[in-house]
Amino acid sequence: MKAGYKQVKRMTTYMRLNHWVVAFSMIGAIVTGLYIGHPYYQSFIADPAVGKYVMAWNRWVHFMIAIIFDVSSIVIAYMYFFSRFEKPYKKIIPNAQNIKEFVEVIINLVTLNRRKNFDSTHADSFNTVFFLVFHLMLAWMLLTGLQLYVHGLASGLSSIGNWWPWMLHVATDWTIPVSNMLIGSASPTACIMDVRISHHITMWWIIAWIMFHVYYQVWRTIFWKEGDIGIVVSGSKFVKED
Amino acid sequence: MSDKIEGVKKLFTSKSARVETNKGDAYYEQLFKKCHERIESLKTNQPINNRLDIGDVLETHGIERRDFLKWASAVTGMLMLPSSFTPLVADAALLMNRAPVIWLELSDCAGNSEALLRSDGPKIDEIVLDVISLEFHETLQATAGHQAEKQLEDAMEHFKDKYLLFVEGAIPMANNGSFGTIGASGETMHDHLVRVSKHAAAIVAVGSCATFGGVPAASPNPTGAVGVMDVIKGKPLINIPACPANPANMVGVIIHYILTGQVPELDSLLRPKFAFGYRIHDNCERRAHFDAGEFVEEWGDEGAKNNFCLYKVGCKGPMTFNNCSIIRYNEGVNWPVGVGRGCIGCSEPDFWDKYAYERPMADANIKAPTGGVEKTVDEFGLGLLTAAGIGIGIHAAASMAAGKKEEVGE
Ligand code: HEM
Ligand code: SF4
Repeated sequence: MKAGYKQVKRMTTYMRLNHWVVAFSMIGAIVTGLYIGHPYYQSFIADPAVGKYVMAWNRWVHFMIAIIFDVSSIVIAYMYFFSRFEKPYKKIIPNAQNIKEFVEVIINLVTLNRRKNFDSTHADSFNTVFFLVFHLMLAWMLLTGLQLYVHGLASGLSSIGNWWPWMLHVATDWTIPVSNMLIGSASPTACIMDVRISHHITMWWIIAWIMFHVYYQVWRTIFWKEGDIGIVVSGSKFVKED
Repeated sequence: MSDKIEGVKKLFTSKSARVETNKGDAYYEQLFKKCHERIESLKTNQPINNRLDIGDVLETHGIERRDFLKWASAVTGMLMLPSSFTPLVADAALLMNRAPVIWLELSDCAGNSEALLRSDGPKIDEIVLDVISLEFHETLQATAGHQAEKQLEDAMEHFKDKYLLFVEGAIPMANNGSFGTIGASGETMHDHLVRVSKHAAAIVAVGSCATFGGVPAASPNPTGAVGVMDVIKGKPLINIPACPANPANMVGVIIHYILTGQVPELDSLLRPKFAFGYRIHDNCERRAHFDAGEFVEEWGDEGAKNNFCLYKVGCKGPMTFNNCSIIRYNEGVNWPVGVGRGCIGCSEPDFWDKYAYERPMADANIKAPTGGVEKTVDEFGLGLLTAAGIGIGIHAAASMAAGKKEEVGE
């Protein structure tokens, strides 16, 4: 550690684990999701049928990742309020202090770090809101994805019991009219295609989000010189001692 | 907006698309008793206008009773009833002419009437529909003009609150409905529908135009076409979409009505669950090829010759609810995917704009969220990423040139 710097813990082991699970799952979901949307490679036509199960494997991976997302999202939602480490909801509430910090972080970004009037020891309000956007998009992917999925269980049966499709209908049927609104459809009657369109478009917003996220964390590391990128690896960063 | 909010409310309160294929013995025993009583009492009624006896008609067409019973057991299965109901269903079919039907045709191509008639080699479904007591059908009847209006008035008066109203075609709403008028008095289709539906026992919207606006409502929808459910509220309404609606499903709904006196169980879009509870894709004969990733890449290629899955040439079976992959058309002769032509989702709302293109959704020119611009979702996505990339690039370049790095104390 450089002299004059102190180490601050920013992420628990669980948080870091979750970060990488989500990151790799996201890549997997995009790769398989794009295949489902438009099968972009072909199975070898000469192969016997038993030797290829390409779409089915892609869907399998997509849904397995979905389940990992499900679990991780429930835990994240819980942590927003009950984390013993840092409760993110405290940084989302639009009170005067948070709004000021939010604006200051943006000013820091657009003035290319010429002005830095906030405490970067803790998770700042801007980043927390930015993550909230991500979590909302992820939740939307889950809900629309499960809505697309539940219709394959049309008889109301599933291998784990009837409660599962029943619950999915109750939890996700509302995404149909909401998707219709989100995609700006002219039709008065919503349909399942709206959900699929929204599921697909939201993926692009998520990819754009990832681009900015990665860029911003690297940028912070370079310009703040506080080792921010290390947060997701070792769990800590370094800030100057006062 | 307000009707969209209404729609959200409805989705939360309405029963979902879940189909219950088995409701338990107690339920079916009680239903059987009820249906049996109803059929017996209907038998004592006289046929209304149509005095064709279905037994005779079937015989004229050279259809044996054995085939008729086979058909009845298939319909029983389609309606998701236990096989013990087969004799009741057969009886209900024989009593078809006890249900008075008024048929309206609005903004459409008459394809559903066409499907219903299919005079060239009719099958039992169509024959059964032949003997319903069709009191009024402007396209088919001989009368016209004032005479036809008179006949409609008579039928409405005579069977007040008893007739089934079948509606085919969308309702043009723009310019006060002046895009479509009917009859000698130039009544708009909207007023016509409202007037005739007032004393209907139930309304059956057949075909995609009558249910969701269909092709007339396709973008930019110049006539402001909408479906029956957007116009008529507070009446029992059954939607049988598809282009055309499958006569088997029309028969199913009428038989269900005759048998039980009720409309069948409906999903949130008012479609009978027995027909629209399942996706095409889940019962498709090409599904194994879908799972194997074997797709027709272009018309007439090696994959097409091998009956591969039609997903990449635009099959919308995965997003379409209908039973054509189970019962097919023309009594099991064939159906779109069977002939090598992907599903165009003709039984879904807005199908012309959102489903009917020969490529996967991701590659299609559908309306982008930005409004009128026609773009594929992927083009939109790449545009979004390009914009994000340019923004990041500018910021990065500026940071390199003018950014202030923190002093590292050493
Ligand atoms: C969060 C990241 C996710 C991404 C980036 C993603 C992406 C995609 C994409 C691009 C498609 C193809 C849509 C099309 O063009 O037709 C798709 C389809 C689908 N996704 Fe996702 N998805 C994600 C999460 C989920 C989740 C959580 C579920 C939950 C089960 C899910 C279930 C589905 C289903 C069921 C389909 C349709 C597959 C089919 O009909 O065969 N997805 N996804
Ligand atoms: S042809 Fe269409 S409905 Fe059949 S498996 Fe392929 S995508 Fe599904």
